[in-house]
Amino acid sequence: MDFDWLFFTEVTLAALGNSALLALTGLAFVLIYKATRVVNLAIGEMLMIGAYLFFSFTAGMGLPPWGAVILSIIGGALLGAAIERSVIRPMLGEAAISVFMVTIGVGSVLIGLTELIWGAEPTALPDFMGKTPIFIGDAYVSRKVVIGFSVAAAVIALFLLAFRFWRGGVALRATASDQAAAYSCGINVPAVFSLAWMFAGAAAAGGGILVGAVGGIAPTMGVFGLSALVVVIVGGLDSIVGVLIGGILVGLLEAWCGTYLGGEYKMLATFSLLMLVLLVRPYGLFGTVEIERL
Amino acid sequence: MTMNRREALTLALGAGAAIGLGIRPSLAADDIVIGGSIPLSGVFAFAGIGIHAGIQDYVKIVNDAGGIAGRKVTYLAEDTAYKADQSVAVFNKLTSQANINLYYSDSTAFAKTINAELDRKKTILMAGASFASELNDSKKYPFQFISGPDYTQMFDILLQYVAKTKPGAKIAFVHSDTEFGRDPIAAGQEKVKALGLKMTEVIVTPPTAVDVSTEILKLRRANPDYTIFHGYVLAPLPEFMSQAKQMGLATKFMGTFWSMDNSLWTKVGEPADGFMGVMPYRYYYDTEGKSPMLEKIRQMRPEYQSTAYMQGFLTAMLFLESAKRTLEAKQELNGTNLKAALNSLKDFDTGGIIGVPISIPGNSIPVGRVYRYDAAKKLMVADSDWIKVGG
Repeated sequence: MDFDWLFFTEVTLAALGNSALLALTGLAFVLIYKATRVVNLAIGEMLMIGAYLFFSFTAGMGLPPWGAVILSIIGGALLGAAIERSVIRPMLGEAAISVFMVTIGVGSVLIGLTELIWGAEPTALPDFMGKTPIFIGDAYVSRKVVIGFSVAAAVIALFLLAFRFWRGGVALRATASDQAAAYSCGINVPAVFSLAWMFAGAAAAGGGILVGAVGGIAPTMGVFGLSALVVVIVGGLDSIVGVLIGGILVGLLEAWCGTYLGGEYKMLATFSLLMLVLLVRPYGLFGTVEIERL
Repeated sequence: MTMNRREALTLALGAGAAIGLGIRPSLAADDIVIGGSIPLSGVFAFAGIGIHAGIQDYVKIVNDAGGIAGRKVTYLAEDTAYKADQSVAVFNKLTSQANINLYYSDSTAFAKTINAELDRKKTILMAGASFASELNDSKKYPFQFISGPDYTQMFDILLQYVAKTKPGAKIAFVHSDTEFGRDPIAAGQEKVKALGLKMTEVIVTPPTAVDVSTEILKLRRANPDYTIFHGYVLAPLPEFMSQAKQMGLATKFMGTFWSMDNSLWTKVGEPADGFMGVMPYRYYYDTEGKSPMLEKIRQMRPEYQSTAYMQGFLTAMLFLESAKRTLEAKQELNGTNLKAALNSLKDFDTGGIIGVPISIPGNSIPVGRVYRYDAAKKLMVADSDWIKVGG
């Protein structure tokens, strides 16, 4: 039987949409870990808040989608700053596991607040991406996939450039590599922490809008953050490039397995990849290998 | 007075605990007691809140009318966050505090976990939010029942509708890779064959799937006349429907009970137009025929009530009808007698909650109706008569 290359191409292109969502959410994990060494398990819930803010600005207040996107991203950034200042900063110096547990608590609080403010019912975001399908050659691609992938790629590229060339980005990198040295160079380390959480909150809110546009919104949508955690571990907890490559790898693997083996094999394939990468490269494909000297 | 962070936290926790504990209704020795492990928070909260209100309202209607044989009905419930261990903890707590006669369970997992305890106690009749086919076995689950058709019977109703509307139609199933999602799939495939329909594809989605673009491509290849979803509430149904329309796919989409709430689809809007599914109950706004209970509900609550509300309301009605019949027969209120009273229901009038008289020969009510979402009217409208299937 001839292999259907057109179908394979369509599946591969569709996989890039999922890759983009995973990578953008993973980026929020990486931004926080890179600067503060905190694994923030509340990222999924921060993403959820971004999606709900967009819902309120569009469906509730009738703002145009572009305005709602900007306000939601600002809201996400403010949420990130608020969490950092009120909950995370007082925990500085505590054991990593304590901070980790606190982020789980923050996630639960955000879910509770969402249920109180917006209710527990799942709902759909107003359509703001249009419905006309896109064809690349003969291959069909969903419009949301194209938009999601373009946005994620642009945002990741922006952060890569910022970390490389922008003064604040350099301060983030310096703080990540050695906090004491960064202090002695005059870098305001607490402000850098806040900045990292704000960027992560903004990225998560943007990711939330895209995830919500595809899958709808519900107080349970934060579970998507855990899927992105796999991508981050595969790519490397402190690598922005790693998150992009990890996202594409996981997205493609899931799509090909789901299509040719069946949807029940998706998780199996993803977690097999995770174990394989951790066995070969315990810090992820692009993560920094930390050497501790006694 | 200034307050430090620890004092403020203690105060907040204290206030939260006070609200959480609530005020318990006073309990007399001869009260008929309905207990409940209710998911008022967590992933199933959207349904739990409606179920809770439905049970409360029916209990109020009965008490306002003087109770059952002069005995007041009390409803005791606590939040479980839809976690089976929490549901068990609530069950143990409530049954140790009161003489519970009837119990509402929040999940299949809890219904299965607590079954041995129900068998041991023999004092409680239980029903709940689960429509799992496995529970429709009166030998294995003698003190439980389902307030509607089980999931296999729901598929049966949908497939009978399809076989009548378009004989020989091509069918695809899309289900989540969960116990809930897998429930009716194997039996459904058998039914497709038996009804002379053609199975073209079974698509499985992981429980956390958001983007389903690749699954939609598979569906396009299969090109079914009808696609039946199971194991979801809302997502990823709208995305399937919206992309299928973009691709020009003519398939009609169908779902089962938990995907059938009208307010869910109203928020989806135009892409929801034409979505069909099986409903064991009438909708809040249905006015056809005689429906005194729906009228009563509309008087009590002028705003739309969900399908989960209807489920809770009907479950309470069946609970208390069983209690009434048991007391009328001058029998003790225990699990065995309550279940026998429930099974004695023959052509029982639910006051319009279900559009036809019902009988419960086993553990389920094997009847339902196909509704279709009309985006212009923003309403689920009836698309078939009530369909009875094998009990």
